[in-house]
Amino acid sequence: MRSKRFLVASLVVLFACKPPTPAEQLDSALSWVATARMAGDAWLQHTTPDKYTRQTLELSQQTLLQLGTKLLKSPVPGVDSASLDSLLTRSRGHIAQMAALVTAKNSPGFRQQLDSLISDETLVKQFADSAESKQ
Amino acid sequence: MKLVRDVLDKKLTDREDCEMGRVSGLVMQVGERSQPRITHILVGGKTLWMRIHPWIARVAARLSRMWGPKRDEPVRIPWSRVESVGKDVKLDVKARDTGALDWELWVAKHIIERIPGGGKQEEE
Amino acid sequence: MKKILQLTLGIITSVGGFLEIGSVVTAAQAGANYGYKLLWAILLGTICLIFLVEMSGRLAAVSKHTIVDATRERFGFPFFSIVMLGIVAVAFLVLVAELGGIGLALQILSGIGFRWWAIPVSIIVWLLMWKGTFGVIENGASLLGLVTISFAVAAVKMHPDWGGAAHGLLPTMPGDGKAKYGFTAVSILGASISPYLMYFYSSGAIEDKWDESYIPMNRIIAGFGMTFGGFLSMAVLVAAALSLQPRGIDIEKFEQAALLMTPALTRWGFYLFAFSMLFACLGAALEISLAIAYFFAQGLGWSWSEDLDPSRDSRFAFTYTIIILLGAIPLLLGIDPIKVTMMSMALTSATLPLAIVPFLFLMNDPIYLGKHRNGWLSNSVVAIVILISFVLAIISIPLEIIGG
Repeated sequence: MRSKRFLVASLVVLFACKPPTPAEQLDSALSWVATARMAGDAWLQHTTPDKYTRQTLELSQQTLLQLGTKLLKSPVPGVDSASLDSLLTRSRGHIAQMAALVTAKNSPGFRQQLDSLISDETLVKQFADSAESKQ
Repeated sequence: MKLVRDVLDKKLTDREDCEMGRVSGLVMQVGERSQPRITHILVGGKTLWMRIHPWIARVAARLSRMWGPKRDEPVRIPWSRVESVGKDVKLDVKARDTGALDWELWVAKHIIERIPGGGKQEEE
Repeated sequence: MKKILQLTLGIITSVGGFLEIGSVVTAAQAGANYGYKLLWAILLGTICLIFLVEMSGRLAAVSKHTIVDATRERFGFPFFSIVMLGIVAVAFLVLVAELGGIGLALQILSGIGFRWWAIPVSIIVWLLMWKGTFGVIENGASLLGLVTISFAVAAVKMHPDWGGAAHGLLPTMPGDGKAKYGFTAVSILGASISPYLMYFYSSGAIEDKWDESYIPMNRIIAGFGMTFGGFLSMAVLVAAALSLQPRGIDIEKFEQAALLMTPALTRWGFYLFAFSMLFACLGAALEISLAIAYFFAQGLGWSWSEDLDPSRDSRFAFTYTIIILLGAIPLLLGIDPIKVTMMSMALTSATLPLAIVPFLFLMNDPIYLGKHRNGWLSNSVVAIVILISFVLAIISIPLEIIGG
């Protein structure tokens, strides 16, 4: 009885530390692009404070960098990994710019970058959808 | 005679209803022709840890030699001091005199009272 | 009159003290990933919790023993020590998560990372326990926690699909990703049915000197308080379903959750989320620290009471001091509180039988409860939900590891 519980507990710990599959990483990338977009929209509407917005954008950027590297190493089946990688790199660029523009409090510039990010987001979503349909 | 089950692990209170720990163990006397009877109540010390595993008792004994009130043996309270056994076991003793609160007083004096706001144990 | 005041306060503090990082994160993740589909898990967990809390209060009021007292006395020290080890280990993880939650809330408010907040937060939590009395701590933190009602406001304001939500109250299986769905359900159950709540509640009943006359009041507090609290959990799920799921945002980090109420409540939404998490996690951190210290003190027969000066219950005070200090360490090391949250919630679910099975034995024991023993309903509801939680945990966790 006791050993059964220990087994269950170990399994839980194992699961919590389980690495995600490439498809899950692509979904995560989409989630972070969307996060950056949502935070960007919120900042322009004066909903979120500067520090939080900048930190969230930087966090999105860092996470996308990690995900991009992993996706290059283990690509999602049926997805053109080179195109995906350049798309994610471009998105990261926009997000980095947005973070800097928050500090500079430059709303019009920010708006431009955000619009580009929104187009990128649509493309990432297409990648994610096509990956899902091929599963 | 009271069953071991009714006494073991119950809370102990003294003459003034002061809490003094729990019954960790019992000393029984088994006669050739008489019923086994409880002679002493044991509080604290290695009795408790022995009930899980002797190894734990050894570790606990080593720790308590380095640290805390220098008490090796568990507190022994004669069965004659037991007033009643109900939800708790009521004893006709004064808690501090038995040594059952030695650890409590030691932690209070050496740790808690050294921190601001800890208060003071009354000296009696 | 006094009883009515106590009743009202009891319900209010149950509501204000219901949410904490576990229930918020699991509900928000459920909403972001599955829309309304996991509302049934919150419903099931809350119903079980209502019964468990009512039972905890009843045991204390009738037997004048806390659950821990009764467990040691009925089952003996060796068995008790196993229960204690399991419960305390998992509760400690939850404590780390709550302290982390306070730190994260302060992080999004100030821009200063949660690692820097680990020590100040621990000191404040400790100070509140060191100087405070039980009444002040329990009521104060829970009253502050009423700010979590903003989740309900945000959810309603976004015009949920009530029909869809009602469907979500009935269990359904998703098309694919069953293992992850099961894992999320398990985490929600673990977040709703937290054993530390039972130990805290029964100790509180003893601190407040309840007797048999409090049984009806106990029933009402448990019933209404936990029900309203459960609604708040559901509100978090609904808010996430409406604000995050359409945008394809999954909650991996706290920063993403912070956007939960912004579509509905704009700038207010951001700050209300931060302060909701701050006070909810603070209340939970206090409760869990006390619950762990109660376990040691009551189990080993030390004096314990928040109303006493620390020197009058020195080992009890020493215990919670050490626990809070230890709880800060993982956060100082930078371990992500969200990950700790998910793991501790699932572990809670998996170890529920350890806490609940002995408890059910006690609740049916005439020595402790006399004529107030459990009826068939209480026994059945609790037994079934615990079985479900445990089985789900056993199935979904390996599947998620192997499959995926």
